[in-house]
Amino acid sequence: MTREIGINQLKRRDFLKAGLVFGAGAAGLAAGYAAVPDAFARAVYAAKREGVTNDNILVMIQLAGGNDGLRTVVPLADPALHDLRPKLSGPMVSQALPLNDRFGLNHNLGAIKGLWDKGRVAIVQGVGYPNPTFSHFESIRIWETGDPTRRQVDGWLGRTLANAYDSNGHPLTGCACGATDVPGALRDLQATMTVIQNQKTFGFTGGSEVEAAVGALYKGTPGIYGALFDTAIATATETMATLRTSAASYQPMADYSDKVQLVYSSKNQLAAALQLASELIVTGTGVKLLHVTLGGFDTHYTELNRHDDLMGYLDSAVGAFYQDLAAHGMADKVLIATWSEFGRRPKENASGGTDHGAAAPLLLIGDPVKGGLYGEEPSLTALDGSGNLKYAVDFRSVYQEILGGHLGAGSSQILGASFDRVPFLKAPVAAIA
Amino acid sequence: MSVAPSQEKTNSGDIQVRRGITRRQALATALAAGVGVGAVRLLGGSMQNLATPKAGSGTDWVSPLGSESARVMHLVRRATFGSTPAQIESALSDGFSRTVDRLIETKPVEPPQLAAASAPGGRFAIAQLQQWWIDHMLGTATPFAERMTLFWHGHFTSDYRKAGDNTFMYWQNLTWRRMSMTDLRSMLMQVTIDPAMLRYLDLATSTGQSPNENYSRELMELFTMGPGNYTEDDVRQSARALAGWQVPQPDSFASVTMNNVTRRLPVYSSQKVGVFNPRRAFKGDVSYLGKTGPLDTQGVIDRILAQPATARFISSRVAQQFVSGQPDAAFVTSIADAFRRSKYDMKTLMHAVFTSPQFTAAQSYRTLVKSPTEFMVHAQRALGATNSKLIVAAGSGMGQSVFDPPDVGGWPNNESWISSNTVVERVNFVSAALSQVKTALPATSDAARVHLDGVLSPQTAKLLNQAADDRARWFITLASPEFQLK
Repeated sequence: MTREIGINQLKRRDFLKAGLVFGAGAAGLAAGYAAVPDAFARAVYAAKREGVTNDNILVMIQLAGGNDGLRTVVPLADPALHDLRPKLSGPMVSQALPLNDRFGLNHNLGAIKGLWDKGRVAIVQGVGYPNPTFSHFESIRIWETGDPTRRQVDGWLGRTLANAYDSNGHPLTGCACGATDVPGALRDLQATMTVIQNQKTFGFTGGSEVEAAVGALYKGTPGIYGALFDTAIATATETMATLRTSAASYQPMADYSDKVQLVYSSKNQLAAALQLASELIVTGTGVKLLHVTLGGFDTHYTELNRHDDLMGYLDSAVGAFYQDLAAHGMADKVLIATWSEFGRRPKENASGGTDHGAAAPLLLIGDPVKGGLYGEEPSLTALDGSGNLKYAVDFRSVYQEILGGHLGAGSSQILGASFDRVPFLKAPVAAIA
Repeated sequence: MSVAPSQEKTNSGDIQVRRGITRRQALATALAAGVGVGAVRLLGGSMQNLATPKAGSGTDWVSPLGSESARVMHLVRRATFGSTPAQIESALSDGFSRTVDRLIETKPVEPPQLAAASAPGGRFAIAQLQQWWIDHMLGTATPFAERMTLFWHGHFTSDYRKAGDNTFMYWQNLTWRRMSMTDLRSMLMQVTIDPAMLRYLDLATSTGQSPNENYSRELMELFTMGPGNYTEDDVRQSARALAGWQVPQPDSFASVTMNNVTRRLPVYSSQKVGVFNPRRAFKGDVSYLGKTGPLDTQGVIDRILAQPATARFISSRVAQQFVSGQPDAAFVTSIADAFRRSKYDMKTLMHAVFTSPQFTAAQSYRTLVKSPTEFMVHAQRALGATNSKLIVAAGSGMGQSVFDPPDVGGWPNNESWISSNTVVERVNFVSAALSQVKTALPATSDAARVHLDGVLSPQTAKLLNQAADDRARWFITLASPEFQLK
């Protein structure tokens, strides 16, 4: 499977020299992105080259809207649950898939439970941050930037793309699959990244003639958006070339079904997005950080079936994705991590749903993880002043482990501090923090 | 879910825009990075002039806004969905300030009735509703009203999926248009009891005994005050005070069989608003925004309007949509003061915005990115085309389908509209729009002047000169970076 698609032969030293010429160092603000070459062009599939060890890949799955942690990892033996959720707790406890005598996975997470049984799922419980906000947008931004003080504007993965290099000295490459805009987590004006909503339609109508005309049109565009436009067009063109090659050589080895009846508001075709992620990974395009989104988790009303449906959809998409990666021999390289802006209120509301909450569990899935429960489950009886679960693990502890242990990137530089360890990786690639 | 443009409160209480590119940052670094080229300002309208582009200074577009006609075109571009040649002609002969008055004072033309909206349960294809609105954007004599309706649709947003009844979405669109240039106090009541909104943010299922916080929170965070200006307790308290509204009772029911399942679906003979059921309301005092006592929905709205944050927040959103992605804090304060002094009159606010020096300052020129809907409607109007179906189909790839916002924050703007995916979709839309014009295309002799102010990048100028025919020239014009901006 060794390929050198889109590989640029720049050596680290050359790149740094070029960086100086561009004047787009770490201090280069805003339009520094103009100096960043196209996505994939500089990326290298470093893995199969001798002496290079860090070819790990990260796939973040955003459960947008605030995923109900108590319905994801269900407390099986806490009598307080029924008091808080007389309508919502019944079947969720009796049908849960037990992890041990105290916790079970949502009954629709069968494929993920199968991976748990093989030691490939780490669950970090009670993840949150101090003084939580209950605003979707504020909390999303906090998770995306990795900064609860809300000073940072770039995304934590965007900063990683902009600042870290692979072992050959090439910047890392990111891709948002199934999206139209750049997710905040990947945002950084100097990051090398691309956005592909639907692979089948990603191309210029009119082919190479149009491509050439547009390439000529978007060069040296003036104004504050000029460089952004030019980079977007150049990135799109590079991406098309990459996809032409990858699509020709990729055979999915799992059944990605988006036929599941989409529940309200999950506007994202998660399975299709993960299939595209798999294609980019297994064909060696050099993509390092991928981001996909499943919406619909803002379950203020009639949560019972809707949340179960979302869990089922997540499970089938993730299950197929893992199976596909494994069949292509890539499962040991890929870490899948879920995130959501907050959990939900332990006490249910009059609409048969739950309002915005705080701490919740995260799932880390893949061969790189050391399976098991981490963190600490929040107490259902010692709630905070707003009736929400108290966090035990700062979300940046999880980021730190991913950055340092999985990607081998300088986590304290990217996150601006060090955090308590959550050692959910089997074999961290570098000393952390 | 994408991230909405968000604000945060600084210590001084000013609204600051978090993300975005400031002009100085971008230009300074672009210069350092050596990417700058001259933007040229075309003199005259003849294509021949394109052959010898005059180099501008540095990396920015050369603002033409020193001239009255360019100011009029700037206004038309930002405040409407494009105009017919006759509308442009009359705006140019009226001049800038009379055009501002006409835009603001002309009563919105109502769209034609949508027959499909009488379907029981609002069970008709959302594409019909989307096309109905786009058709009106394409043909209306009052395009400013449509621009404001789209603004409010992104601000007081709802989506058809959760509303679960497309007739409710149709009503909401009619309501938003009718209220779009009235006063915020009456608007907030209409928003609160709008049937689609009652469903979308769950107020319809909230009760005083067990309140649902969804509407209460977003009313303050996204609709009026912005985060940081109220407490979590305020969210809980106003959730109580607002509880009791329900969607209106249907006039009758109809049995409809779909996919072998027969359902009794509601039928409404006319547009209705939510109804208040005192039995579901909260009885007792609430402590809200610093005062304690009995409080009803109007009381909640009035307390919100008593907060200085409200005028600042709405003014800031308006400024970001119409003036600059990074509006100056002092400018926002000045229009917010005018807005509040006028008892939150939208005509006063929009007048203050359009007639401000900031609106026509050189620094504002081409600092906004057209939303996908604006871009597509502008493009079709430029071509004299009216293909709403194409616009509806193409929107989602660029990140905007009307009646289906990505989340409760509505749509993001400016740089969020630019990604590798969206730029390809924009170019492809131009190809599709051109291929559907079977008759002769409008002449291109004036296109670069009328649609691009004659302010072109050297690349655009060069390609226009090289283009073989009108079709190619229209492609370059509409696919150009210049046309994406406003």
